[in-house]
Amino acid sequence: MLVVYMTLGYPDNERYLEFMEEAVKNGADILEIGIPPKYAKYDGPVIRKSYEKVAGKFDLWSFLPETRKVIGGTKAIALTYLEDWVQELDDFLCKLKRAGLDGVLFPDLLIDFVDDYQTYSTRVREKGLNNVIFTAPSVPDKMILQVSRQSDLFLYYGVRPTTGIPLPITVSSLVTRVRNLVDNKLVVGFGLSDENDLRKALKAGADGAAIGTAFIQAIDNGGVKQAIDLVIKLRSVLDEF
Amino acid sequence: MVVVGVYDTPMVNNAEEILPKYWYNIIPDLPKPLPPPRDPLGAEFSRIDLLRTILPKEVLRQQLTIERYIKIPEEVRERYLAIGRPTPLLRARRLEEYLGTPAKIYFKYEGATPTGSHKINTALPQAYFAREEGIEHVVTETGAGQWGTATALSATMYGMKSTVFMVKVSYEQKPMRKSIMQLYGGEVYPSPTDLTEFGKKVRKENPNHPGSLGIAMSEAIEYALDHHLKYLVGSVLDVVILHQSVIGQETIAQLDELGEEPDVLIGCVGGGSNFGGFSFPFIGNGRGKKYIAVASAEIPKFSTGEYKYDFPDSAGLLPLVKMITMGNSYVPPPIYAGGLRYHGAAPSLSLLMKEGIVGWREYNENQIFEAAQMFMRTQGIVPAPESSHAIRAVIEEALEAKRANRKEVIVFNLSGHGLLDLPNYDSMMKRVTSNEQR
Ligand SMILES: Cc1ncc(COP(=O)(O)O)c(C=O)c1O
Repeated sequence: MLVVYMTLGYPDNERYLEFMEEAVKNGADILEIGIPPKYAKYDGPVIRKSYEKVAGKFDLWSFLPETRKVIGGTKAIALTYLEDWVQELDDFLCKLKRAGLDGVLFPDLLIDFVDDYQTYSTRVREKGLNNVIFTAPSVPDKMILQVSRQSDLFLYYGVRPTTGIPLPITVSSLVTRVRNLVDNKLVVGFGLSDENDLRKALKAGADGAAIGTAFIQAIDNGGVKQAIDLVIKLRSVLDEF
Repeated sequence: MVVVGVYDTPMVNNAEEILPKYWYNIIPDLPKPLPPPRDPLGAEFSRIDLLRTILPKEVLRQQLTIERYIKIPEEVRERYLAIGRPTPLLRARRLEEYLGTPAKIYFKYEGATPTGSHKINTALPQAYFAREEGIEHVVTETGAGQWGTATALSATMYGMKSTVFMVKVSYEQKPMRKSIMQLYGGEVYPSPTDLTEFGKKVRKENPNHPGSLGIAMSEAIEYALDHHLKYLVGSVLDVVILHQSVIGQETIAQLDELGEEPDVLIGCVGGGSNFGGFSFPFIGNGRGKKYIAVASAEIPKFSTGEYKYDFPDSAGLLPLVKMITMGNSYVPPPIYAGGLRYHGAAPSLSLLMKEGIVGWREYNENQIFEAAQMFMRTQGIVPAPESSHAIRAVIEEALEAKRANRKEVIVFNLSGHGLLDLPNYDSMMKRVTSNEQR
């Protein structure tokens, strides 16, 4: 399962849509769309800069539905921090649904809203959206087991504390630790652009990978084409398993 | 068996078996997710990224690769044995008799290591990992000097140089600690210094600044960055508590040999490393019923601190971590001699306290001085002033057991000896006596 992340409207509206369309054609199974937050708590400098770059460049609710037009039936989930929307959550979820999204992933749900995560989870589903739950090595085993059964589409497991920074970790140990606890598809993310790391994660039992920073860097370096080449390459690595 | 001497040594001859083969990390067994370290809002540089430059790679890898058990490298295990691990688990029978309590009191004596405290348990592996990476010079800060001493010895053992930024008041009040660090081969500076931009800034604002652990930490990190050296971390971070888990695991094995089941576990808290190392293997494995973390009433982080994201160091060079904290610019009262001056408590410990699993106490200087004296006169060991906080809680717990006629088993961590803290006890004695005369 290849989960492709891109910041909404990056680097501009036109090239963003082109990337999304081509990503789907070249093997992305699920798209993750980053909605610029006030405080990207778990994002590294690359994604944070991408948010700054697009800030104020579009009207969220009129631009978001454009994505659906180019990606056809492929599943798309919004990625944004619950903190920003918690006061107007039902309204936010209804608008997401209307914009044609299939679900939402709140990276701070289990960290900053842990006592009420089930209530929030229910509210997401009541609006007809999938709730993809974000976990990390700092989530205790019991809770990983529990939430893995409640996560829709797959369970997200972020192996580093922040995106896009190649912090030294042993991916295989981290995946092995949770593999048997996860009663769902296990998708690994956070700093996994390195092919070796990705292979290790898959070998240890991950069902897929979520990649983001590497696409943004590819767009910065060589435009949408270079980013799509990376989609193709990652797809082929996943297909080895 | 007839018991001779001031304390019993229940165990001496199966060191190899008692010393654990793995370090234990409690994070997979916590009741709730541990909030991850993070970069501040609108940060002009990434602290998380900077960690890669500051810490030895393997230390950072262990901080981030969270597994329940991590193998202790054989070379490190050998060093542990060489410095006298497992440390003794002793019964404080004279103290029990003196208090007339039905409770049994045991203590894990971390003062038995060459440097006189538990700090060596993490200094050794960190120095080992640094050396394996080809690092030749390490830097750190120290408050009372226990951590600086452990770093200086460990660095020398692995053929590296060490530079230690020592909080200025301690540097002046505890020249003997400085001597030991220098004898071990360390280079020691009183912080705030003029060797770093941050130190200069603090001195410019107040030339007589007494220093703080947070400031010394920032200076050590800045100095390491400027000189391309690596920084060794003495407390607070999960990787340190991971290494300290040898304390609790040995204690469990030693209690098992005696057929004792502990009821109450007690330790003092500076940054939380000896407490975590001692108690987390019990907590994570469901052993024991009550856990008490003890801090100083003069640095009242438990009663007045807030649970929030804060920097571990004063300059804010490390990532934000969520902990119980008095604020990273906190400066402790300079006349206070009891140690435990750090402004925060480790994130994992903070979470366990917020969840009500670990309880807390705070004691003032008079109370810990009294406790230390009682311990010296009954058991003979001079405890570190830090550890005397734990002793005070043990005494109160034992007296409570006496009132309720409970035959409980109290186990505490005697994190260090106080033979180099005699000036502290002298100054406490003077203040306590003058208080009494008033
Ligand atoms: C003997 C002794 N005990 C306890 C502490 C407190 O630190 P921590 O809470 O990290 O164990 C120190 C700190 O310097 C110490 O030297």
